[in-house]
Amino acid sequence: MNAAFRPGPEAGVTPSGDGSCVYVAHLPGGPLLVLDGAAAVIWVEATTAPATGWVARVAELVGQPEDAIAADVTAFVADLSARRLLVPQPADEPGPRADTTA
Amino acid sequence: MAAHEAAEAPAEGVTVPLEVRIGFAHACLQWVADRSGADLLHVKGAALDPTLVPGRGFSDADVLARPEHVRMLLDELRRHGWELINSFAYGSSFEHSATLRHDDFGLLDLHRIFPGTGPTPERAFDTLWAHRTTTVLGGVECAVPPRDAQAALLLLHAARGGSDPKAANDVEWVWTSADDARRAAILDWVDRLDAGVGFSVITGTLDDHRDDPAYDLWRVASRGGTRMEEWQARVRAAQGLRSKLAVASRSVLVNVEHLTIVRGRPVSRREIVAEFFGRPARGLSEQVLRLTRRSRR
Repeated sequence: MNAAFRPGPEAGVTPSGDGSCVYVAHLPGGPLLVLDGAAAVIWVEATTAPATGWVARVAELVGQPEDAIAADVTAFVADLSARRLLVPQPADEPGPRADTTA
Repeated sequence: MAAHEAAEAPAEGVTVPLEVRIGFAHACLQWVADRSGADLLHVKGAALDPTLVPGRGFSDADVLARPEHVRMLLDELRRHGWELINSFAYGSSFEHSATLRHDDFGLLDLHRIFPGTGPTPERAFDTLWAHRTTTVLGGVECAVPPRDAQAALLLLHAARGGSDPKAANDVEWVWTSADDARRAAILDWVDRLDAGVGFSVITGTLDDHRDDPAYDLWRVASRGGTRMEEWQARVRAAQGLRSKLAVASRSVLVNVEHLTIVRGRPVSRREIVAEFFGRPARGLSEQVLRLTRRSRR
């Protein structure tokens, strides 16, 4: 079962030790992104299986109705995708780097 | 959303820990190697098996490249924001690594040789490469030597550390406290890597190798010496007349790269000239001081 997204081929990913943020590097030349708060939650859930219901999981974790955050979540993921840091993962595609949050 | 570009517009309170940046330096190197067809092994620092020396800190990334791929890697890295700040010839008395710096990822030591390994740099790399395994650094799978080979390399590094407490701690964890089976596994890698002379520093038997051309290099590295003794050792260790002459001529040239770093700005012609005359003078004064100390004993 795949996640909705996986890190792009130009992304280096390191979660912080306490899980409060995710560091993402655009390889090979930078820059570095620090995803904290809701941004970190979105990255983690977007790259964690199952894909189904991942936005709802984000909503639950940030304590907001899904409808209220869906547009912002979509825009944020689109931004990361435009930077080639996240790529969508079809449900039937094997994903060797699906979970980089451990 | 709270996404901060740490390099471009750091928000207040947003910092990226050094070990995270260094992990990304390794990831960057592997990314470049994978796409340029270069072979490299990540060594020491973040790449070290964490069970060898628990809690060991690090301040840069170290990679060992297949010698014939070094030039290509240097060219690629410079295209991706890495700046060469110290070249091989001036990096250390072993002339083994070049240092590069990246605004986001920090410092990198690109090794063309791991000091003490042989019989040639190419064969030493082949030996390690044939037994490589992987670890994930910065989210990217990176090639590393097997654990026992890592232990042998760490001890060879410590052998050059003189009285450095970190080197002493490495020796304590990896060698002194090791049981016979572990020591045998490490010694097996010392044999495979033809690393007997350097490793003899760890076992306290360096003086058994007085006739080896590399003896003086290891003696000065492990016990200390003057600048002049260091250069004499480099000349003795260089193979062939042409290499010896090249080393000897470098000993009196100014390392402009190093001087630029020390001064924190481009150096003027006048400063280079002053340094040219200052270095031999410093070497001579160190030698005189050392002789004076010996005569007092």
